[in-house]
Amino acid sequence: MQGGSTGIGYGLKYQARCISDVKADTDHTSFLAGTLSLKEENEVHLLRLSSGGTELICEGLFSHPNEIWDLASCPFDQRIFSTVFSSGETYGAAVWQIPELYGQLSSPQLESVASLDGHTCKIRCVLWWPTGRHDKLVSVDEQNLFLWSLDTSKKTAQVQSQESAGMLHYLTGGAWDPHDSNSISLTCDSSVQFWDLRTMKKTNSIEHAHVRNVDYDMKKRYTLVTAEDESGIHIWDLRNLKFPVADLPGHPHWTWTVKCNPVYEGLILSAGTDSAVNLWLASSLGRNDSASDSLAAPPTRRIEPLLNSYNDYEDSVYGLAWSSREPWIFASLSYDGRCGLWREQKMSDFGFLVHRQKICVVEGPRGGHFNQERRVISCLTLFIEQWKTLRHVSAINDLDVKA
Amino acid sequence: MEVEGGETLDDKAKRMRDLLLSFYSPDPSSASSLPPNTSSRFATLDSINTASFDAEQYMNLLDLSYRDEKVKDRFIRLIHVVQKSNMEGLLHKHVEMAAEIKNLDTDLQMLVYENYNKFISATDTIKRMKSNIVGMETNMEQLLEKIMSVQSRSDGVNTSLFEKRKHIEKLHRTRNLLRKVQFIYDLPARLEKCIKSEAYADAVKFYTGAMPIFKAYGDSSFQDCKRQSEEAVAIIINNLEGKVFSDAESIQARAEAVMLLKQLDFPVESLKVKLFEKLEQFLVDLNLDSKELTNSSVDVNGSPDPGRVPDAAPATAHEASVREFAEAVRAYKVIFLDSEPQLSKLTQDFVRKHFEATHQQIEKQIHSADLVTILRVIWSDVLLLDEVLPEASLPDFALQSALVAVKDYISSAFSHFLLHISDAVMKVQGRQKEGIEEEYPLQAALEASQKAVLQGSMNVFLAHTLISNVWGQLILNTSEQEFRRLLDENSGLLLKLRDLTIDWVQEGFQDFFRKLDDYFRLLSGKSNVASQEVNLLERMPGDKIAAGLVLVLAQLSLFIEQSAIPRITEARNLLYFCGGEIASSFSGGGVRGSEYGPAFVPAEVCRIFRSSGEMFLHLYINMRTQKISVLLKKRFAAPNWVKHKEPREVHMFVDLLLQEFEEIRTEVKQILPQGILRKHRRTDSNGSAASSRSNPLRDDRLNRSNTQKARSQLLETHLAKLFKQKMEIFTKVEQTQESVITTIVKLSLKSLQEVVRLQTFNRSGFQQIQLDIHFLKFTLKRIAEDEAAVDFLLDEVIVSTAERCLDPVPLEPPILDRLVQTKLAKTSEQNMPS
Repeated sequence: MQGGSTGIGYGLKYQARCISDVKADTDHTSFLAGTLSLKEENEVHLLRLSSGGTELICEGLFSHPNEIWDLASCPFDQRIFSTVFSSGETYGAAVWQIPELYGQLSSPQLESVASLDGHTCKIRCVLWWPTGRHDKLVSVDEQNLFLWSLDTSKKTAQVQSQESAGMLHYLTGGAWDPHDSNSISLTCDSSVQFWDLRTMKKTNSIEHAHVRNVDYDMKKRYTLVTAEDESGIHIWDLRNLKFPVADLPGHPHWTWTVKCNPVYEGLILSAGTDSAVNLWLASSLGRNDSASDSLAAPPTRRIEPLLNSYNDYEDSVYGLAWSSREPWIFASLSYDGRCGLWREQKMSDFGFLVHRQKICVVEGPRGGHFNQERRVISCLTLFIEQWKTLRHVSAINDLDVKA
Repeated sequence: MEVEGGETLDDKAKRMRDLLLSFYSPDPSSASSLPPNTSSRFATLDSINTASFDAEQYMNLLDLSYRDEKVKDRFIRLIHVVQKSNMEGLLHKHVEMAAEIKNLDTDLQMLVYENYNKFISATDTIKRMKSNIVGMETNMEQLLEKIMSVQSRSDGVNTSLFEKRKHIEKLHRTRNLLRKVQFIYDLPARLEKCIKSEAYADAVKFYTGAMPIFKAYGDSSFQDCKRQSEEAVAIIINNLEGKVFSDAESIQARAEAVMLLKQLDFPVESLKVKLFEKLEQFLVDLNLDSKELTNSSVDVNGSPDPGRVPDAAPATAHEASVREFAEAVRAYKVIFLDSEPQLSKLTQDFVRKHFEATHQQIEKQIHSADLVTILRVIWSDVLLLDEVLPEASLPDFALQSALVAVKDYISSAFSHFLLHISDAVMKVQGRQKEGIEEEYPLQAALEASQKAVLQGSMNVFLAHTLISNVWGQLILNTSEQEFRRLLDENSGLLLKLRDLTIDWVQEGFQDFFRKLDDYFRLLSGKSNVASQEVNLLERMPGDKIAAGLVLVLAQLSLFIEQSAIPRITEARNLLYFCGGEIASSFSGGGVRGSEYGPAFVPAEVCRIFRSSGEMFLHLYINMRTQKISVLLKKRFAAPNWVKHKEPREVHMFVDLLLQEFEEIRTEVKQILPQGILRKHRRTDSNGSAASSRSNPLRDDRLNRSNTQKARSQLLETHLAKLFKQKMEIFTKVEQTQESVITTIVKLSLKSLQEVVRLQTFNRSGFQQIQLDIHFLKFTLKRIAEDEAAVDFLLDEVIVSTAERCLDPVPLEPPILDRLVQTKLAKTSEQNMPS
């Protein structure tokens, strides 16, 4: 275990890509995770941190018809969330409602609130306005941007406006500005575009940027964090898009996703395909003016941006979510279905430190026997899952042979 | 005194008491022993000591007996004495007093006697005076009479002589006037004579003497005379002028001539101006000379011929002309006494022009040796001039200018150095743009730039050494006396010269390397707004930077860090050790305050370049992998994998991928050194699956035709994955060929895996990937070093594809094998003719 952080594990049955913080749940620290299984029935897990904070409890397990490629929890209703799914050639996006549980776990069916139909190509993501109650919803597919008007009580969703980003722009994702409900950023092949939702027009863009993921800083307006296509993390000031304000090294392989802490400014979490999650502190305030003399500055004065690296994952980490209720907790989801919840015990210290623009790198003994054991166990679980699959397949094959 | 007085008072009181006692009682010794019941009259005064003492009565008695206060007081004192002392004491006192009285009496007698003698002699004197005074009165009267007669006689003489004296004075005046007139009439002739004998000084003296008269009477009586003499003076002036301007005359004579001219009220200023103009003209000629000199030396420099023989002639000519100039200045200075400021200005101008010429030369990037010769020439000129004109403080001025020139030179040397390197580096970019095919363009560029770095730094050092030497020589050239004077005046400056140079060179290096690093970053497109001050080249769009260039930069940074900096440091240390300057340059860093630290910090520069080197290497890898990622993305985005057709051959993208790898390999091979051959072996046993993977061709597993078995491969892979060590894919990159290539291959394969995970495949799609990967397994072995990791990643790709496959049925190994073999044959066929 890490010196300043403790991890809690939870295994999803199948491979998975997406996890989301249930922001509207103010009583518990909960997360929603969706699986990505081609052949089995997919599931949505509602995970809740136990009151003691020592384990992740599965509060609800709901079956989902298709592979879940994107999942987002509604920021104002803890029972509502959206998914983007596809199976083979079919694709779709929908808003779901978790049924009333009444204590029992055995109600596997999700209630559909609305289906976001109308997309003509593969859907990338569904975005909720992250800050509060807002009756709009944005969905992004490879070429189009849809603005939906959602009525959760009437269980309807209607396309309010729709705009194509152009054939040349192959959209990959986006983020909604928490400070401005009319502004949205979309990532595409070679640029980041900023759209105004009132006019449905592109207002600005960062050209020549191959961006995999974007996130807005919840605390500091005009700050956007992007995960560059080939590693690196860039921090931008939206008022000056020529050069990034700062850049962080990112991961050795792709940096898949970046998430800004909802409370502490400049605290950035990144997950990568190198099976690691890194916690960064971008002291963007200090960087602004010291960028010029960063070379001249002696090494002791240069701030080490990497606070911690969590790297006992078996596979690429795609899912990442800060808890908005307890901002020193985050959940990560690696492709093999292992959900890790980390509590940075020194996070309160971090908060203090962030405000003071100081740095204390939390480092502790890594690896060790414990990690090795856990790794073996998780491998075994995975192995058993696949063994089952194979046996299933071979049974069919046997049938074929007999036939 | 008081005490004495007190004593005398006591004595008197005692005496009084003695008297009283003798009066009231016949025997003083029995007085105290009187019985208390004696008569009241007796008891009155002696009753003090008795028991029957009545104060009032006693006082009354005292009042009666001693009316006088003084006596009463004395009496009281006496009483005190009597009360205090006993009988023997009193008796003793009495004896003492008696002796004293006797002494006093003898003293008195002596005094009286002496005074009497004096009185007698005084009376005698007075008597004699009275008799002498009687004759004096008559003598005095006689004296008065005689004096009166003398006065009257002298008055008589005075009145009689008065008339004659007036006359004599008049005559004398007339004679003087006549003499003057005679002189003026003679003046023209005299002047003529003077002109003939060239006694101009006398002539001028005469003329100036006659001037007042000419002024007063020139218009009337002496008209002719004046005219003639003026003519003569005009001739004199002409002659003098000629004398002043003729260089043949001695300076003294010329100076005298000027003095005379000045006395003749001739406008000397215009003369001065004329002469000065002459000097200036001289200077212009001289400057031309100096230009010629430097030009000639540049020409020599331009030609490869190192012999500097043609330099000698102009140099001596130059020296001669400067000497001449110095002489002229000396003459001028002597001739015109208060002309120093003007001359100082002139000579300073001269030096300034000299340095301007030098500056132009510096801009033309002359060789340091030339700079040194130029400086030396200037210094010798300055010394020559300083001898004649110490007031101008030329050495001071020249030293300061020289410092500026040297500073300029150093900075220009550094900027040229930077330009050289950038040229060398930019050749890569240029070539790639122009598309000129060269065998090893990158290697050539790297070598060129490395050479540029070394040569540039060594040039700077050479210059530094030479310049340091110049300071030494300059000081040596300066004559002993001069040097001492200079030392007295500005010892600080001279002593600081070397330190200053050292500081500049060090600062220059530090600055240079910082700039170089900035420039590199700019080139690589990694710099942000802040470092855009380096306006060496227009910023290039980020997309157009050749990856090869980045690699060259990476290796160049490494080179600078590992060999250039140590060499520079070594050279520096050597230099300072030789110059004996080590102490001053290292402790406190010369003039530069120690609080700033030494100007050139090799460790810091090394650190900067190490980090940039790593950064460039990563950038290169990033650029390359990005390109491959794009390739992969295109490959996987295009087809509909769910409806993929059965694989017939290895897909084209594999060729593209391999081609890309090959390109990287050629680039890397040119630039990076070969690493130590070191294969990444799995340390522990991986079970049958792993060992079979390491030699898949001969494995019997391939002979199994059963798909079921093939399927179990996947399972085995997973089993293997479970038991083997976590594969370290993302190891640290070293600056070696193998490390870089392997890293790129690994990253590309990882990307492939990630891209695969985003798709959904049907059986044929899966088989296609399987085929492609299988082919890669053979081919990548040649390229990448870390076989285990590459194998592992390839397997991972297959596993990932299988996971994303709706129906993961692998291709039968024989088919797989056959297809791979065909492809291999095809590629070798393609390679053969080429």
